[in-house]
Amino acid sequence: MFFVTYLRRELRRRMRQAIFVALGLAVGIGLVVTVSAASAGVKKAEASVLSSLYGVGTDVTVTGSAPQPGKPTAGGQTPKGGTQISGSPSGATICQDGKCENAAGKTISSLVPEYLPIKSAEVADVARLHDVLAAAGGLLLTENTITFPKNFGQSGGSAPPTPNTLSVDGVDTGHAALGPLSNASLTSGHSFTAAESDADVAIVDSGYATSGNLKVGSTITIDSVKFTVIGIVRQPQSTSPPDVYIPLEVAQALKTGPLGVETGDVNTIYVTATSAADIPAVQHEITKLLPHDTVTTAASLASEVTGSVASAAKLANDLGKWLAVLVLIAAFALASLLTMSAVARRVGEFGTLKAIGWRTRQIVVQVLGESVAMGVVGAVVGVGLGFAGAAIISKVAPKLSALIPGAGGGGTFQSQSVNGGPVSRTIGGSPDRTIPVPLHPSITVGVILLAVLLAVAGGLVAGLFGSWRIAKLRPADALSRVA
Amino acid sequence: MYKLTGVTKLYQKGRRTVPAVRDLDLVIEDGEWLAVQGRTGHGKSTLLNLLGGLDRPTEGTVELDGINLGALRETQLTRVRAESIGFIFQTFNLIPTLSAAENVEAALIPLSITAAARRARIAAALESVGLADRAAHLPSEMSGGQQQRTAIARALVKEPTVLLADEPTGNLDEDTRDDIIALLERLWRDRGLTLVLVTHDTSVARRAQRAGVMSKGHLTIKQDNRPGPRPESHAVTAAHDPAT
Repeated sequence: MFFVTYLRRELRRRMRQAIFVALGLAVGIGLVVTVSAASAGVKKAEASVLSSLYGVGTDVTVTGSAPQPGKPTAGGQTPKGGTQISGSPSGATICQDGKCENAAGKTISSLVPEYLPIKSAEVADVARLHDVLAAAGGLLLTENTITFPKNFGQSGGSAPPTPNTLSVDGVDTGHAALGPLSNASLTSGHSFTAAESDADVAIVDSGYATSGNLKVGSTITIDSVKFTVIGIVRQPQSTSPPDVYIPLEVAQALKTGPLGVETGDVNTIYVTATSAADIPAVQHEITKLLPHDTVTTAASLASEVTGSVASAAKLANDLGKWLAVLVLIAAFALASLLTMSAVARRVGEFGTLKAIGWRTRQIVVQVLGESVAMGVVGAVVGVGLGFAGAAIISKVAPKLSALIPGAGGGGTFQSQSVNGGPVSRTIGGSPDRTIPVPLHPSITVGVILLAVLLAVAGGLVAGLFGSWRIAKLRPADALSRVA
Repeated sequence: MYKLTGVTKLYQKGRRTVPAVRDLDLVIEDGEWLAVQGRTGHGKSTLLNLLGGLDRPTEGTVELDGINLGALRETQLTRVRAESIGFIFQTFNLIPTLSAAENVEAALIPLSITAAARRARIAAALESVGLADRAAHLPSEMSGGQQQRTAIARALVKEPTVLLADEPTGNLDEDTRDDIIALLERLWRDRGLTLVLVTHDTSVARRAQRAGVMSKGHLTIKQDNRPGPRPESHAVTAAHDPAT
């Protein structure tokens, strides 16, 4: 009781100084909370991008190598299954499997895998690895359709046409919890059933369904095969999902050009580790098992995500963190100096207390109590400032976006402009994608606890400096100063 | 009983060594009132600090009831101060943010006393110095005399055997001075305290049983009104005034 009374009265006597110290700590704490909240918001945004790319439950993704753009074979022949378009003063010619014809007015389409194939046996090998809980194969395909104008290739004719691309994902219907559909929400229809593993059925993305005016029961054509739409799904906002999902077995049976997959091949493996701590080990094991394929984890994928979300993450992690640390150090130093100064002014008081029998420890506890009380006030105000800072960031922060690198490669078309300089167009693979990411700074209980701990630590540090001075104080000296 | 033997206290001031007390032999009986006079800087306060265990002698021993204070560890010395020695200062040294009762209570904090006993002791101490009705007043709300009375209550609340007063009337007017000295005299008598009082005031010193003057670190006894025969060893002083 006496301790509290003395502490309260002393703080009231030094009200201005106490407020100054508490505010100094509060600004530091507020900045830490704000930066942590912004950083958590950015991390959450990044995580939402990554989880949508990965799907819930997927820890590691294995993809086949990126295919290189198709090149004419020696002697000017087109690679098997490849298509070459050449222009001449008399018009454009399409050569496919050695057969050439005038391109003008023609529509050609080609289904290509986004990555080189991985044998199905390798999916089983991955599933058997230590620390792997589950593994499922997937087949990412792109269908490119291109229609050449009638005057294409002629002098003064139309420019090379832009292909329409349809991204198709073959999903393992036996592993619904793994892979691209695990993170999607069904808006109408139903998901794949075990009985539909070899049926010509499709689930379409809601965006593609809207643009193509598709409903459950509609039909779409992929590689000349008609598929019935059985469901429509919506993926998280931050993703750029495939347009169509079809059963893996059906996807494997489609014709896929010169980079075509054989029966049972996949080009993606979705892997779940037994625990988060095992992810690096799983990544290492798979890299050893499949040295030519690309093994990515959320962490490695995060390093490839660029755009303003990455810049914001960098800003929060670098500038924000160091700014908060600097302000905290300044606040700690200020609190320490002011406490030392207060102790210096109270030398007579402490000397008297020592003279009447107070142990140094008792005086130190009293001074520490005062400093910690200022720290607690600083923590409360600082957390409030942090919430305000987070709210301001939420209101004024520009919209973030994530630039996700495409799969690259996979080209099967080549074109050459009739006017001379070669123009190479790669069709296939996926282009870089820019995804809008909402930033919602979030303050967790952990951050609030950290803030309180930091403020109390600031008070303790300040109090310890003062205590060091008290411990060194000889009562006779202290009393002589009063006299 | 205090017994000082060959006590010297030196201070280092820059490169100079300044003797504050020199080769002092002194015995102070239990229940004795000793007044110490002397000019500023001649060692009066240093002597009081040595008696109160606030400082340690450079040479010699200061014994209180047979315990060599200079040989005690700091915690033991603090314990002696907390239990056995009361201090009164010229500037009162009250804690400005605490009331009279809380200032008195501060002296009981180092002791293990129950809250009820503590309250009773505080009330009794304030009553004994005539400040029962001022318990809730802050030092700034009291006169100098009342502040010194509070300081006396703080010194006595722990029921010490020794009371050390360093110019307790130095900041007070004559009437208040007389009141305070009368109060100290009454308390000294009633409680059988050993009182060592440093003062510049000869009229105050005359009321003590024994009075001496500190000069250049030496104590010379000028007055001895103690009743009854005194053993030779108990009248030892560092330097006897040739005039006495």
